[in-house]
Amino acid sequence: MAEDKGRILELIKRVLFTDFVKGLTVTLGYNVSKSITHKYPDEEKWVPYRRFRGVHTLNRTETGKELCVACELCSKACPTQCITVIPMEDDTGRGIADRVAKVWKVDLVRCLYCGYCEDACPTRAVRLSREYELACTDLSCTVRQREDLLKPVQVPESFEGGVIAKSEFLRSKRGIKVKVDLSNTRKRPL
Amino acid sequence: MVTVKINGKEITVEDNTLILDAARHAGYEIPTFCYQADLVGIGSCRMCLVEIEGQRKLQPSCVTPVLHGMAINTETPTVMSARASMLEFLLANHALDCPVCDKGGECELQDMVYKYGPHKGRHAEPKFKFQEKDYALSPVIIKNSNRCVQCLKCVRVCREVVGANVLGALGRGDHQEETSFFRHFLDCDQDGNCIEVCPVGCFMRLPYRYKTRPWDLKGADTICQWCATGCRMVIEERDGVLIRSKAQFGVGLNSETLCARGRFGNDSMTRAERLKTPLVRRFGKLEPASWQEALAVIKDNVPSDGERIGGIASPRLTNEELYLFQKLFRNVFGSANIDSSARWDPDAVEAFIKAASMDAGGVSVFDCMESETVIVIGSQVSDENPVTDYIIRRISAGRRMNLVIASPRAMKLDSSANLKIRHTAGKAGALLESVILSFNSARVAGTGGLEDMASGRLASVTSEAGVDGEAVESLARKLKSSGSVAIMAGTDFLRFPEGIAKLGLLKDLLKSSGKKVSVLPLLDRANQRGAWEMGVHPSLGPAYARAKQKGLGTDEMLEAVSKGALDFLYIAGSDVASMYPDEGVATAALGRARFLVVQDTFMTDTAKFAHVVLPGAAFGEKEGTFTNQEGRAQAIRRLMHPPGKAKPDLDIIRAIGERFDPSFGPKNFVLALDEIRSGNRMYSNVSLAFNNKKNSDNRLDSKEALVQGAGASDLEAKEFAQKPSAESAEYPFRLITGNHLFHSGKGTMRSETLSGLLKAAVVEISEEDAASLGLKNGDRVRVKSKDYAAVVTLRTARGSKNAHAFLAENFEDCPVNRFLRRGEGPPMVSITRA
Repeated sequence: MAEDKGRILELIKRVLFTDFVKGLTVTLGYNVSKSITHKYPDEEKWVPYRRFRGVHTLNRTETGKELCVACELCSKACPTQCITVIPMEDDTGRGIADRVAKVWKVDLVRCLYCGYCEDACPTRAVRLSREYELACTDLSCTVRQREDLLKPVQVPESFEGGVIAKSEFLRSKRGIKVKVDLSNTRKRPL
Repeated sequence: MVTVKINGKEITVEDNTLILDAARHAGYEIPTFCYQADLVGIGSCRMCLVEIEGQRKLQPSCVTPVLHGMAINTETPTVMSARASMLEFLLANHALDCPVCDKGGECELQDMVYKYGPHKGRHAEPKFKFQEKDYALSPVIIKNSNRCVQCLKCVRVCREVVGANVLGALGRGDHQEETSFFRHFLDCDQDGNCIEVCPVGCFMRLPYRYKTRPWDLKGADTICQWCATGCRMVIEERDGVLIRSKAQFGVGLNSETLCARGRFGNDSMTRAERLKTPLVRRFGKLEPASWQEALAVIKDNVPSDGERIGGIASPRLTNEELYLFQKLFRNVFGSANIDSSARWDPDAVEAFIKAASMDAGGVSVFDCMESETVIVIGSQVSDENPVTDYIIRRISAGRRMNLVIASPRAMKLDSSANLKIRHTAGKAGALLESVILSFNSARVAGTGGLEDMASGRLASVTSEAGVDGEAVESLARKLKSSGSVAIMAGTDFLRFPEGIAKLGLLKDLLKSSGKKVSVLPLLDRANQRGAWEMGVHPSLGPAYARAKQKGLGTDEMLEAVSKGALDFLYIAGSDVASMYPDEGVATAALGRARFLVVQDTFMTDTAKFAHVVLPGAAFGEKEGTFTNQEGRAQAIRRLMHPPGKAKPDLDIIRAIGERFDPSFGPKNFVLALDEIRSGNRMYSNVSLAFNNKKNSDNRLDSKEALVQGAGASDLEAKEFAQKPSAESAEYPFRLITGNHLFHSGKGTMRSETLSGLLKAAVVEISEEDAASLGLKNGDRVRVKSKDYAAVVTLRTARGSKNAHAFLAENFEDCPVNRFLRRGEGPPMVSITRA
């Protein structure tokens, strides 16, 4: 008896396309709801939290002196030996001490972004930035030199992060770049 | 012997042992800063405080000797907290700039704080600073006093070991600064021993400044190449560039000391001008070639008649290479014409070997210093073998003994000597004869005519030697009253071989009067002794055995080349053109050579004449053994690969040999050493496993690695006539030659640091002479002989013999061998203001 009742119900559902309508409701629901897809990189970009560990930066004091004293503790602490430091003497006031880095380079392909270098740094010169766009067309850009790392980063440390910022995707002969507008951000919808 | 209890463990040690040594003996580590074996204890750092039961206060263990029945605790909470407190006080004003400091990573203060120290500082006050900026104390020392721990090791090593005495303490208490006299720029020995002993980054080496971190360096434990003292040192490189050389505490006969050459001279090894590829002369020009081509050209040009082939090997090659070199000549080429020096007559060498009993095996310098009387003669030991000078100074200061120095020039070691004799240059033989006559005067006393004859002779030789009779008598008295005598005989005997016979005579005389006599040759090339013992000598084979056939020495070879009697000359590592004591003769001969092969690391003056130049390896790029002047066979180790296509010299000599005899070998240095060991009696016990470490009693096993005696030998001592030198009023100065403190041969001239210390030649005369000429230190003067004149800088020396001028053999701007003439005695020169 009960078996018959179940079979009839099944038949009615099939005739009326109940499952199909149910599925379509979800689909149509999403169709009208707000999108959670990031329009990255053309329109917007995820700016991570401060705790994010991206590409290294070398920092300066407020007066513009290099904080790095080329003590090589970062390269010693590095588990993958991807940091090379060669110190030199320069007492012209380039750095906070007369010992500065002649070479400070990091091989980003070997790096596992553990942040030990940041921890080891006695002057807080090495900090891992929030830059994570490493794609490139040849291997030369995987080794970052001191000169590049000293340049100010797009997302300053003062910026809180954890937001999606308006961005612009720039193509040029020198490569591609995503420019963010940190004044125009929104929370990540979750 | 006393018995003490250390941490409850009973041990028996000798009387007067320091608590520190006793504790270390018992296996307990006590931290120290100011204590260093070999230096006088001052107990200033207070790190070594220990608790002695029954005493209320902690006692410094580095200056407190043990007493019988003492119970000492080194690891109680009180002691531990004392250590931590001492470190806290040291850190109160310490700069704590470890990330910048060059010592970071190998700093004793870092290690101690890590181990014992307070890991939290309580001193919030501003730190006292001596200076804001580091200052250069000398061309090789940079100083940061803010890091000083006031251990005074630098001051003590400078005074007690080096004898330069240029460092002292300015100020008192924690404002005490160890530096030069009011921080003046130092013009001292520049040996950097103060840097080496400094436990913190207070004294730092300037050439090493901010180059690297100690953990980046790859090192090799090797033997210094710049003189025959045989100092053990570690050379270190980073990315293929030699960064520094350092000594190790308690290892080797030198322990933590080195000289300027050893510590700063090895950067020449990684200079860009190194020869990197074989060169073959084509149409009058040397052009790069492959090894195949170069060896083929050599093979084509080797004459079949062995008598037309000659070879000169440098005494800076290793024993294995020298052995193979003489094997190549004697067995493959069938030639007996080989020599190991461009400077010395092989007959003089043979006589010197006999006189110095070098065939009787090695003599340790420490055993020599156990003697009651030590005579240093024929060597400017402070300049030529600086570390031997340190050893003599340190040991002679610590025990009752006579130290006699005989030399025409004043030297640093004079201050340690009981008797210093200034004899005329080249008259060491006359001096020794006068000593012998004076020593023997009692035997002929009362014999009438014989006594008169002897005293007449004594008067004449004394005046010939240019010394006063009192000094001779005093030396003879010292010899008579001592039961053991050591004679340290230098290379001047080889420059003036007429004195060698008297050296032998004195040795035999002292022996026959029942004294224990040891003779230590003082040589100036790292492996000179090894070269002779390997048989690179025209009339002596390995182990000083007489060679079947007597060949030509350098001098005769050059003559034969000029005459066309010798076609093929193979010079390995020797710069004959600039070291042979007559430049004209050497260059004329080399220019006339039908075929000249030069194997070297740099394009030397000799290599410019070559038909084939083979690039060899520097001492840090090959393995082998060096035999120092004592006869200690020590291993040198490889740190790097030779640059470009350059090869270790052993491989080159073997490759040439294989072209003639495919089975020529041995293939590598270990096999070569095995072959030497089995064929050469003196080397039968030599092993690469020696360690030369000081034992727990701070003593070196002085017999370790010494070569054995050769057994019965048939060395001959020829009599040498004195070469005349034309004396005239026009040229009042007698020219002396030798090595400079900063330079040894031509090799050190290629070192950036050493040529920074001194690049241009200097002439040294006595202060009185300078005053009478109206000249002063630093003036430019013209040195003129009948053949050559050069303008150089004047240096004056207090206490040197008058009417003597010293010019070092090393400088390129004043080649001394232009003053010298073959077959003539020391040239006479005049010195005038330029």
